Amino acid sequence: MAESLLQVLLQFQPEAPEVKQKRDYDQAARNFSAQVSNISSSHWQKGADTSSDVLTVLDPTTNSIAYAFALRHRIAGIVEKRNVPDTLKPGGALWNKLVKFLEEFDSVQMRYAGHEWRKLVDYVEQIARVMGSPGLAIAPIRSAMTRLDPTTGTFTHMHLRFMELCMETRSYNAAQEILDNYIHSIPTKIPQHVREGLEYSVPCADVATSGEYIHVASGHSEKVTLSDLQEYYLLGAMAYLGLKQFRKAQQMLEHVLVVPTANTANGFMLEAYKKWVLVSCLVHSTDRAIPRTANTVAIKQVKSASKAYEALAEAHAQLSNLSKLKVQIKYGAEIWADDGNTGLVNEVLVSQMRSYVSRLSRTFSAIPVSNIANNLGETPDNIAQYLENMIKEGHLNARLEQSDKPNTGAVLRFFLDPSQGPLAKTEKQQQQVLFEQTLRTNMLAEQVKDASYRLTLTKEYVENLKRVNKKQATGGEAMDTAWDDGIDAEEDIMDDMH
Amino acid sequence: MASITEQSPFFQQRRARGEVVVTDPPKFDLDSYIGNYTGITRIDRLHHIGSHSPYLAADAYRLAIAEAKHGKNVDLYTTLVDEFSNIAPQDPAALTDVAWAEKKTRETQQEQDRLEHELKSYKNNLIKESIRMGNEDLGHFHYDTGDYGSAHKAYMKMREHCTSTKHLADMTLRLVNTSVTQKSWLAVQTNLAKVEASQLKGDDKAKLEPIVSACNGLAHMAINNFREAATYFLKTSPTYLTVEPAAGITWQKDVISPNDVATYGGLCALASMDRSELQDKVLGNSEFRNFLELEPHIRRAINLFCNSKYSACLEVLEGYRNDYLLDVHLSKVLGPIYSRIRTKSIVQYFIPFSCVTLDEMASKFPATGYRIEDELEEMINNGTLDARIDLVDRLLISPPTNPRHDVHSDALAMAEKYDHTLRLRLTRLNMLAAGMEIKADKGQGEKVVSGGMGQTIGEGLRGIGQRMGLS
Repeated sequence: MAESLLQVLLQFQPEAPEVKQKRDYDQAARNFSAQVSNISSSHWQKGADTSSDVLTVLDPTTNSIAYAFALRHRIAGIVEKRNVPDTLKPGGALWNKLVKFLEEFDSVQMRYAGHEWRKLVDYVEQIARVMGSPGLAIAPIRSAMTRLDPTTGTFTHMHLRFMELCMETRSYNAAQEILDNYIHSIPTKIPQHVREGLEYSVPCADVATSGEYIHVASGHSEKVTLSDLQEYYLLGAMAYLGLKQFRKAQQMLEHVLVVPTANTANGFMLEAYKKWVLVSCLVHSTDRAIPRTANTVAIKQVKSASKAYEALAEAHAQLSNLSKLKVQIKYGAEIWADDGNTGLVNEVLVSQMRSYVSRLSRTFSAIPVSNIANNLGETPDNIAQYLENMIKEGHLNARLEQSDKPNTGAVLRFFLDPSQGPLAKTEKQQQQVLFEQTLRTNMLAEQVKDASYRLTLTKEYVENLKRVNKKQATGGEAMDTAWDDGIDAEEDIMDDMH
Repeated sequence: MASITEQSPFFQQRRARGEVVVTDPPKFDLDSYIGNYTGITRIDRLHHIGSHSPYLAADAYRLAIAEAKHGKNVDLYTTLVDEFSNIAPQDPAALTDVAWAEKKTRETQQEQDRLEHELKSYKNNLIKESIRMGNEDLGHFHYDTGDYGSAHKAYMKMREHCTSTKHLADMTLRLVNTSVTQKSWLAVQTNLAKVEASQLKGDDKAKLEPIVSACNGLAHMAINNFREAATYFLKTSPTYLTVEPAAGITWQKDVISPNDVATYGGLCALASMDRSELQDKVLGNSEFRNFLELEPHIRRAINLFCNSKYSACLEVLEGYRNDYLLDVHLSKVLGPIYSRIRTKSIVQYFIPFSCVTLDEMASKFPATGYRIEDELEEMINNGTLDARIDLVDRLLISPPTNPRHDVHSDALAMAEKYDHTLRLRLTRLNMLAAGMEIKADKGQGEKVVSGGMGQTIGEGLRGIGQRMGLS
């Protein structure tokens, strides 16, 4: 029986000549995974821990589908009891197999075994949690996610779980890799006739974007809700805050603020808005404008619920009255603590000093440190130390020098020409950055097209289209179906940059 | 004499209230200056001078009191005498002529009764022209007694009884005059617009034009619109010098004199125009030259500014600061006008240089009461001056520009912004496509929902926030 099981399992060979055509491959993979999923669990348990164990015979990289099923059944068989058996504990044989598989599986095959992929990843998380060291799950989960979808841009429930793990263990660096890949798709319902049978949009196609093979029916993800997404963005923003990447944190928070809403706000928006106000102070951006796509009524609601934060931002902008912010912070200490924002508020206080100094760079070309110290009521030595740090951390394009004049002491000298000084970029560097940006933007444009395409598959769109056609047939005026014409105009601007 | 008046309770009170007191003697001669004016503005100006300059206080008040006694405005008389008695109690003019005041009050009351009675009978007779004249007389009367609000009302009532365009224009001009006296400049502007829109033709219209533009200039200047004020003053035609009285008002004596047009126009132009504009529109303006000849020092100041001799220009203006502070219309806006001229001079002065020492700046633009670097810092911070200060070597430096670098970094910043915007839109689009939307909870009020939810979620996330350890 073990042989026959193996025979079945080895039926599907992704390198075989019969499945050269993507369409045939699709058909074969689909049938194969359906067939394998029908094998009862007792069959899988046979031959375990012998030389003919399917897990040793099968190669995780080439027979990924079969291997995934085998692994899942094996683990399900022994994990039923509450406690985790030794072999599955981190460092145990089965754990190692699981981790190895998640790092090496064939990404194209796993597109067809969404349920198994999800289960296996879930196991990793559960085991790590039961063992009391959730940090161990981070690396395997991350590799499983990136292997399945190198862009990790299709949101799955795993994104949220992963982010929760990272936040619990404070592994912000690990989170960053996933966070930097922005979410470009959300699993949607793709009608069956679109999913199957179309030559160029089969899941195994080389050009497929992850939004096409990770969808509601593919089994990779549990159903995701709006609050899952909002939570993900909020946690992501916090991870960036932990890494002190404030601009990215701000952008993450804006994603929470623009969610579609029927003129009402939810708690995530409130939380996000409070943090957003503080983070906006940190990024030195001159304009603190809510993204235009945000719902104004909802924003008004959260605004009225976060007056204390607005007042703080206002005090932060008053560089001529530095003590005001301190007083405000002290006065609202309870509010910040209640919202878990104390750390961020302290950061705002620190950054005010930075804003003060960087404003000096717009007014002065050189200024004695003692002058700054006088204005701030600090000793020159402290200030000099502080400035030194700022220059080192790249907040300031300037240098400290000793003046040869008597009674002047140390002098802060700013570089007036942006192409000079420690922060200067050569033209080549700039061009390089611009070039990279162009690539990113083009990719993004592609993803927008995909999203737009998916939108055309929805029922509502089709119905609307029907109505429009009808109207046109009766000589009525065409309806404006463009969802935003602003984008096109901006796209033209980008084209000029190439 | 001057020092005694300066220490008088009146001026001490003014100082305590933080109002302007001009201690130095002005350059002009009171008699010849005030000789330019008649009517209400004469008393008003004398009052202004008297209450601002201890040096001229006695003379000005004496003249004003004498003037007031000829009129019907008893309140004005008593105010003037009260104030004067605080300055020079021994002066014979400082004693209230109670008998005159009582007699005058009685007389005015009788006159008012008579006028109102007449108006009533006119109204009964339903003769339009009579009603109009009755209202006009009542307006004149109220204007003379200093009740400008009632005067305004009485003149307004003339409108429906006006039968010719000339009557309409006269009425509106009366309203302009009343509003100028009240110093309600918006009313002045609206009424002037009505005069301009009136259907007068030919000569009549041409006669009113200089009056309208001079008054428009005055109104704009008083509300700090120096640029518009300058434009209006500059297009005032020299016929203003000789224009006949309109609506019974000798405008160049009762409202603003040609000298005022020159001074106000010149200062507003200096405050709002750059060098080439000044050259073209002020010095090269053959019509305005007639006015400028009346005030040669204004002409000199503009000339100096055009020739880039900014410090000399400022010096000339500074010399006349006291005179202008004693001008009833200029004193309120002189501060902004002077500081604008100064700022502009500094900016213009710095343009050809890449680097100037601060001491040089300080000597070119002497500052009183503050340091030049503070002033420059302020100017740089609010964006009027594009420069950097070197406090170590005491230099003002023009920052080097690198357009190529700027274009690159601008492009990059824009691209990033665009990128982010697009991502936000993409998120939104995806959510919409997936049918995700926050829906209002129907059971409770919306506010309660967001607040309550916020709290529970806040509690849930609090742990994380604290654990993040951002210190």
